[in-house]
Amino acid sequence: MKYLGFGLVFASLLSVSGMELGSAYAADTVGGSTVMKEMLLAYYYPQKDAKSEVFMRIVNRQGQRRERRLTRLRLDKTDGGEQFYYIYFHEPADVQGMSFLVLKRPGRDDDRWLYIPSIDLVKRIATSDKRTSFAGSDFTYEDVSGRDLDEDEHELLGEEVLGEYSTFLVKSTPKRSADVEFSYRKLWIDKTTHLPIKVEHYDLKGALYKVYETQEIKTIQGVPTITKAVMKDLGSGHETEITIKAISYDVGLAPDLFQERLLRRPPSQWIRR
Amino acid sequence: MKLNRLFQLILDYPKVVLGVTLALTVFFLAQFPKIAIDTDPKHMLPETSPVRQYNDQVERDFALHPDVIVLGIVNPEGIFNVRTLTRVKELTRAIQELPGVISRDVDSLTTVDNITSTEGELVVKPALGTVPQSVAELSVLRKSLLGNPLFVNRFVSRDATTLALFIPIEPSVNGKEIADKIRSLLPKNSGGDKFYLAGDPVARDTFGTEMFRQMALFSPIAGMIMCVALWFMFRNATVIIANMTVAMISIIWSMGGLIALGYPVHIMSSMSPVFLMAIATDAVHIFNEFAFRLREGKDKRTAISETMKVVGPPVFYSDVTTAVGFAALATGAIVPLKIFGLVIGFGTLVVLVMSYTLVPAVLMLIPETHILKMAQTHGKGSNEGPSWLSHLGKFCVTRTKPILLAGFVLFVVAVAGLGQIRVNNNMVHWFKRGSVVRTADRVMNEHLGGTSTAYLVIQAKDEGAIGKPALLREIEGLQRELEKDPLVGKTVSVADYIKRVNQVLHDDNPAFDRVPDSEREVGQYLFLLQSAAKPRHLDNVVDFSAKTANIILQLKSWDAGVMKKVIARANAFLKEHPLPEGAQVKPAGIAYFNMVWNHEVLWGMLTSFLWGLVLVLALLVFETRSFLWGCVSFLPLLFTIALIYGVVGLIGKDFDMPVAVLSTLALGMAVDFAIHFVSRFQQRYREYPDLKEALIWTVARPGKGIFLNAILFALGFAVMGFSALTAYITVGILMAAIMILSSVMSVIYLPSLIVVFRRRLCGAEHLSQEREPR
Repeated sequence: MKYLGFGLVFASLLSVSGMELGSAYAADTVGGSTVMKEMLLAYYYPQKDAKSEVFMRIVNRQGQRRERRLTRLRLDKTDGGEQFYYIYFHEPADVQGMSFLVLKRPGRDDDRWLYIPSIDLVKRIATSDKRTSFAGSDFTYEDVSGRDLDEDEHELLGEEVLGEYSTFLVKSTPKRSADVEFSYRKLWIDKTTHLPIKVEHYDLKGALYKVYETQEIKTIQGVPTITKAVMKDLGSGHETEITIKAISYDVGLAPDLFQERLLRRPPSQWIRR
Repeated sequence: MKLNRLFQLILDYPKVVLGVTLALTVFFLAQFPKIAIDTDPKHMLPETSPVRQYNDQVERDFALHPDVIVLGIVNPEGIFNVRTLTRVKELTRAIQELPGVISRDVDSLTTVDNITSTEGELVVKPALGTVPQSVAELSVLRKSLLGNPLFVNRFVSRDATTLALFIPIEPSVNGKEIADKIRSLLPKNSGGDKFYLAGDPVARDTFGTEMFRQMALFSPIAGMIMCVALWFMFRNATVIIANMTVAMISIIWSMGGLIALGYPVHIMSSMSPVFLMAIATDAVHIFNEFAFRLREGKDKRTAISETMKVVGPPVFYSDVTTAVGFAALATGAIVPLKIFGLVIGFGTLVVLVMSYTLVPAVLMLIPETHILKMAQTHGKGSNEGPSWLSHLGKFCVTRTKPILLAGFVLFVVAVAGLGQIRVNNNMVHWFKRGSVVRTADRVMNEHLGGTSTAYLVIQAKDEGAIGKPALLREIEGLQRELEKDPLVGKTVSVADYIKRVNQVLHDDNPAFDRVPDSEREVGQYLFLLQSAAKPRHLDNVVDFSAKTANIILQLKSWDAGVMKKVIARANAFLKEHPLPEGAQVKPAGIAYFNMVWNHEVLWGMLTSFLWGLVLVLALLVFETRSFLWGCVSFLPLLFTIALIYGVVGLIGKDFDMPVAVLSTLALGMAVDFAIHFVSRFQQRYREYPDLKEALIWTVARPGKGIFLNAILFALGFAVMGFSALTAYITVGILMAAIMILSSVMSVIYLPSLIVVFRRRLCGAEHLSQEREPR
């Protein structure tokens, strides 16, 4: 935090407009990690638990749409550590009832279960690939549940004003580049809420190919929450818009909700079919 | 006469003519830096053509890349070894970093996910993640990859000796350049691995590059050979310079004009230089006659005037017929073909203008001392020439019946051969059999599903229709039917993905390797696939609204005919099994595209060719002022073409693009000799009305010019027989053959014909008045 404070003073001395100060921050990996850690906690771990109604719209190059409506339950075991997710799809109609149960364990492969109602089957999914698409959208599993901080080197590039937000600009470069399809990401993280405002993904040749943008932040139960965001794939012309229709925090989710056998009978208290 | 006065002016001011020509040439030469090159065969069809538009739409709708390079790795010992697999991993990464490659869509075992079932768990992992190190692990990997029908014969061959990487490239980049960059990434010490690069962009752009290289190589060589031949014929540097200058000027003017008008130089028009060089040899007739006249003791100026008076009309008509033959291509719908025809047509007219201006002007400037030498040399050569040719002439006018009979028999054989002609085109076969491109294509097609791609698009009436099991089963049925063709190596559809999920969810039980019975199941499997596979892979086979689906076909041959058979087979199947949901099937993809443009180009050329024939015949009738004489002049052309294409049919060579291009050239060129022969014969016959003597004279004197022209022409083209491209070899050899054949036809067959039909042709002394060219 010392470094960060120092950096802030430095930045305000040199620049009011918030231009990049690459050199001043170049070696500041501690600052980068700190900013990222705060982002992770604010974005993926706010409060103890949450229940949200999510709407996703995927639009392809031709303007065709796919829509999904889902309920998401989240419970943190420890802040910044293990997490449970329960995801239940309401729409489209033919997939109604399909559900995922995820136990996220930073540093290890997640445990995932899947329920397929048409054949009444619960299946455990083993995957080492977190970069696959989340439900056919342009968001990956990692985008939805958070990428491990240890996977990347984080470098604080400077500060920038992005619209109404005053942000830190962080460059995250994967430590093991062989595992991912991008060479680095640039994240603009709001100084006050610690939420990501914009994320740019650069491909192996250093060209920008995917952009995340926060479109709306609302304070709900005192928690700044991203309620609308969009991910644009510049290569395929796809884009996905995620809207949080409703969210409530600290609703009192119990760990025993997150059991694979409950996938067949979703808890009606939380998930209205 | 006005024209004559103009001509005398040229003889008065030869240096002015030279200066004006030079100035114009500099102007056209100045256009060359603006040159743009286009080798994409897709541009054969205009952007507005429905096939091209539909193809673009299919590529957009299904997120398909138009240009994909395939890298094959073959190891006869099997590719499941640590070294090869490590190599695949490294190569994939290195290729993804190449500029021009669409990195994220490179499909390799390391970038695609394999969905398997292990001990009740659904495993979604990159097909090749961490390279296994032990024999046991390697065999597990082998089993898992070969157990996925989506991979077999696409990424891995069934016998595990070959694997493939699919590398999409940006539409704007050159496929050969990318291929070369990939080659430079390949390991020097390959061990047992062999690497092959195939795919449409490699073949197309390699051909494009090679074509320009070969043109740059063979145009000068052809020019040089013509120079040497001219030297032996005339022993005069000025003649050589004049002839080559005419060729160069026509090339520079026509190509410069093309570039100035903003057209790109296409595969076709790149061949213009050699064609124009050949056409420019027409000036030989002027030199030949000029030399004869000089030897007869005329002074230079009189010799030139008289030469132009007698040789002028046939030169005029033979150039005009050539120009018309090429311009006939402009009647077709294929833009590059039109341009090609117009470029050569224009170039030919330039040759014509030069024959009337520059050539006489240059002859005027030949120093007097050289003139005598030239006349003597030509005379010396012709001591044997004319006597030999006179003998030939005598033979022709006495042995008319055997000659005509032999001609008739040949003609019948030719017509039989014409019936055997197979219209087909295969771009890969434009390369030599042992060439890198063709070898790669052959090897990959032996091992994997095929390097050529086609699509069959299923268009249903309603959204969601593709998710109906009944339709999916029919799609599957259609695939099995198409796979009966041994040249259809692999088909992939949305049904294959769904079957795969069905089996994997049911613990890999083969009983579930089928399309499920309920629409809800299909819907949920599709949903699952969207999360498991790369979304793009699913987008390749079904659209967002599930209204249209796409069957991807891999074909083992680039023959246009293969796609035709696929469509016929599909149609036959669909007649028996109409698709539910009112679904229709429409073909697309590069294989279909090639089929269509080949068909249009070849038939377009054939129609233009027939039009050309009619136009040339009309011109001949007009020139000779007699229907019969027109037909007589026309016969050697018809005969030559019938014989050449008869042989093409008999030896089973495909009537493809290069062969088709020739037909138009043949049209314009093969008639030239007959025009010269008939025109000069008629002139002679008017002066000395002894039929046989006139014929023998024509065989001996203008006949010499004809043979010289033919040999010069044939030599120029025969050089192309040493080209590295089959397409050029074909053009070179056939063209040389056409020239030799048509000269022989004109000089040997025509005299016999004229003797036999003398009453009809000359009996009433109806030969028309001497004419000047218009």
